Amino acid sequence: MVDQLPNRGRELEMLREMGFESMEALFADIPAEVRFKGDLPLPEPQSEEEIISDARRLLGANLALGQRPSFLGAGLYRNYVPASVFQLVTRGEFLTAYTPYQPEVSQGMLQAMWEFQTLVSELVGLPIANLSLYDGSTAAAEALTCAVRVHNRKASQPNTVYISALTPPDKRSVMFNYCQGAEIEIRTIDHLADGSLDLESLAEAAGSCGVYLEQPNPLGVLDENLVRVKEIIGEHTALIVGVQPVSLGVVEAPGHYGADIVVGEGQPLGSPVTGGGPLYGIFACSQPYLRLMPGRIVGRSIDVDGNEAYCLTLSTREQHIRRHRATSNICTNETLIALMGAMHMALLGPDGLRVLAERNLQACQAAKEALQATPGVTLVHDAAHFNEFAIAVPGNAAACLAFLDANGITGGFDLSRWYPEHDDRILVTTTDQTSSADIAALAAQLALWSTHLEVKA
Amino acid sequence: MSHLFDHHGAENTGYSQPQGLSTTGQATVPKGLLRKNPARWPRLSEPEMVRHYTWLSKRNFGIDTGFYPLGSCTMKHNPRVNEVIAQLPGIADIHPHLPEHHLQGLLSIYYEMQHMLEICAGMDQVTLQPVAGAQGEFTAVRCIQEYFRLRGEDQRTKVIVPDSAHGTNPASAAMAGFEIVEIPSREDGRIDLDALAAVADDTTAAMMITNPNTLGLFEADISAASAIVHEAGGQMYYDGANFNAILGITSPGLMGFDAVHFNLHKTFSQPHGGGGPGSGPIGVKAHLAPFLPGPLAARRTPTAEERIQAVDEHWYHWIEPEHSIGKVQQWHGNAGAVIRCWAYYRRYGNGLTTMSEHAVLNANYLRHAIHREAKRIGVDHLFVDGAETEVAKHEFTLSMQPAKEALGISAMDVAKGLLDRGYMAPTVYFPLVVPECMMIEPTETESKDTLDTFAKHFVEVLTVEPEVLHEAPVTTPVRRVDEVYAARNLCLRHPFDDA
Ligand SMILES: Cc1ncc(COP(=O)(O)O)c(C=O)c1O
Repeated sequence: MVDQLPNRGRELEMLREMGFESMEALFADIPAEVRFKGDLPLPEPQSEEEIISDARRLLGANLALGQRPSFLGAGLYRNYVPASVFQLVTRGEFLTAYTPYQPEVSQGMLQAMWEFQTLVSELVGLPIANLSLYDGSTAAAEALTCAVRVHNRKASQPNTVYISALTPPDKRSVMFNYCQGAEIEIRTIDHLADGSLDLESLAEAAGSCGVYLEQPNPLGVLDENLVRVKEIIGEHTALIVGVQPVSLGVVEAPGHYGADIVVGEGQPLGSPVTGGGPLYGIFACSQPYLRLMPGRIVGRSIDVDGNEAYCLTLSTREQHIRRHRATSNICTNETLIALMGAMHMALLGPDGLRVLAERNLQACQAAKEALQATPGVTLVHDAAHFNEFAIAVPGNAAACLAFLDANGITGGFDLSRWYPEHDDRILVTTTDQTSSADIAALAAQLALWSTHLEVKA
Repeated sequence: MSHLFDHHGAENTGYSQPQGLSTTGQATVPKGLLRKNPARWPRLSEPEMVRHYTWLSKRNFGIDTGFYPLGSCTMKHNPRVNEVIAQLPGIADIHPHLPEHHLQGLLSIYYEMQHMLEICAGMDQVTLQPVAGAQGEFTAVRCIQEYFRLRGEDQRTKVIVPDSAHGTNPASAAMAGFEIVEIPSREDGRIDLDALAAVADDTTAAMMITNPNTLGLFEADISAASAIVHEAGGQMYYDGANFNAILGITSPGLMGFDAVHFNLHKTFSQPHGGGGPGSGPIGVKAHLAPFLPGPLAARRTPTAEERIQAVDEHWYHWIEPEHSIGKVQQWHGNAGAVIRCWAYYRRYGNGLTTMSEHAVLNANYLRHAIHREAKRIGVDHLFVDGAETEVAKHEFTLSMQPAKEALGISAMDVAKGLLDRGYMAPTVYFPLVVPECMMIEPTETESKDTLDTFAKHFVEVLTVEPEVLHEAPVTTPVRRVDEVYAARNLCLRHPFDDA
């Protein structure tokens, strides 16, 4: 029996008080021809105990990344999130609130989000940040449409944006869906053999509305060429940089090398991977983009007594006021996950973030060294990396990953799913959760794979 | 006051971390890319951090702290076991790119949820990828757009919305590239079939509408509206924000809709977290299914090899729709929210109809109780129903226009007065078609006693001297916040001293 309804058993009493004799009377306005006949063909209600036991059984059939050595990332990164974050975020006052439409009783979340905006703004080196978009992919897509709104009038290539040719197809697909309605054309910029951006190819992007690049790039390469991009594309083309936020503990903030908009998948700060959602998209920008940017923003204000108080502001950009002329359709966003991010950032502090970035770099370097020394394996890019790097293996990447899987290792991401022209490449991801033993196991199994193939040949 | 940026502890005050794996980390980063100035983040220890966020939480109102009758938002109780389940490593610590044989549990839950939503909505195929209602709307109109493009009906460039529609409807359709045609509602708040017939033609791609509508009224003419749009060759789109009123009683499929989004975070339960996350799956009829974003969860009989890993005798796998529009989120949507809603659905099963019945019972009862109490103390002349109706569905609207005219008391004044009495205020000034609107949705998880007490407090607010009420709230952490000041003196981040 359903146990969540306080008025069960009091239905008739309530109905009679209204002058009705049955529940049916409340639905008399629904015409018979559109009525469901009979009961919903669904199973009986379950008790809490049955549900949790089914959940354990079903979710237990999934492989948790932490169950064994794992090198799968490709956009999501498994960092340690401190226990206090989980404890605090399940406080009902945060968890069960709606969007803070009544600021007088929502000061807690409003202030927390204003602080989040500050944390993100400082992290990426830009003055303005919103309080989250859905995820890294929609943040990137909305950055492109925002750049067109801002620059289209002066652009010599109107309605045109450029993105890195390495951008993963799934993210490109999101960008395409968000851009096609405004008839925005998305062109690509090439990379050189070492993974760095081809600055000659970039020259074509000058005069367009925006350029989207990632640092580290989708193959983990930290690309020094990005610091030269803004001078090449010029003031009337937005430089949009997608970041892995943890890297910014050591790597320069894009706002400090000319980025106009910084976006990214916030997940590595504050959130578990969670099957790919809920996550939170970071969106930060410089002043000229403020009034045409997407998403909610909190401002600090005062109340009638002149006391410090916070509220949502610049709402005239948003769908509930501007309707079809809004800068975005977003309404529900990812506030709670952003709050987890803020808590994690607060606990790290600037030193903790540097240490965390350093640990991620060290794990990556240790894995690179081990795999470089593994017979049969080659590193694809001679470059600096953060979190992940591409390797080429003997034979076929999918077969190699299946071999690793059968031997107890989640080996990485088959890059032929992104770039079908290479079927022997794997993206190997490390994080602060990667141990030396994990790396040794991967290297040993990859060596076995190579000899296994040699024996077969 | 507690301010995060007032914490200037010594270096490394935060939580301590283990040693890294090697000595060469930073040294691998090209010199020109090394960060010169660290982020000016605060430095605080765990005790201080826990106290700061606990202090903030105490300045925030949630369903757990009190009655939250925010119309259209369905602020019902969220069963706590859902949170426990969402933290299990089998969901919290899984990667969407894991091979199918390592995701059988997730796939089976996705399949079960798709199937359940298909049954409830009367649709042929559901995708769980969209992460919020607005994204569901966008996804569905994109599918409709590609459907017409493939049929060579490129001239269908318009989407019709009633003037009572939620802002996301026109915003989502415009984002997909459609022109918006807004039609007025009738005097009684319902859809105007003549106005619809006048605009529906061979340029119409779709009509977007919610039913019950945003005034909480069931649109009895919905089948006729569907017929008009279909005759013109367009598609009918159901905004599922109010689906919680009709689950198991009628369905968008029965009403003639071709596509629908669900706000799982409203109809089912995913705590709204002060703004999100949500989950906005869509369901479509067979002719639109080939256009859905992929992948979708499917199942077949397991092979002999697969049988050991199979859950419940089935082998689950992903499929890609033939003419898919591609992706609207990079992964498989908000899996964590889907799992919570699955746990919620399991609690109701075929009793979901009871959920809707109680949502409607409570809304009608509260409407009755407010009118009853108003008569009792003689303030019933100060407000009127937002729309004439015998029964409401899961929510109802009141217009404070009479109070405004008689006493200068606005809907906002009443809202602030309710805050002082320990309630979250109803939705105000939406839908735009009702002057001085208050939109009230109690949900099924409130007791009769709570509703009775709220009704008393609601009418009591109307007896407060207008000058006193203009001063409300006075008991809240801050008093009326100056939104104009916020917009004129933009302060969007901590002003560091040197800035
Ligand atoms: C009627 C209606 N439609 C659409 C939406 C948009 O849904 P979401 O906030 O999940 O994007 C809402 C919720 O705010 C709504 O009330």
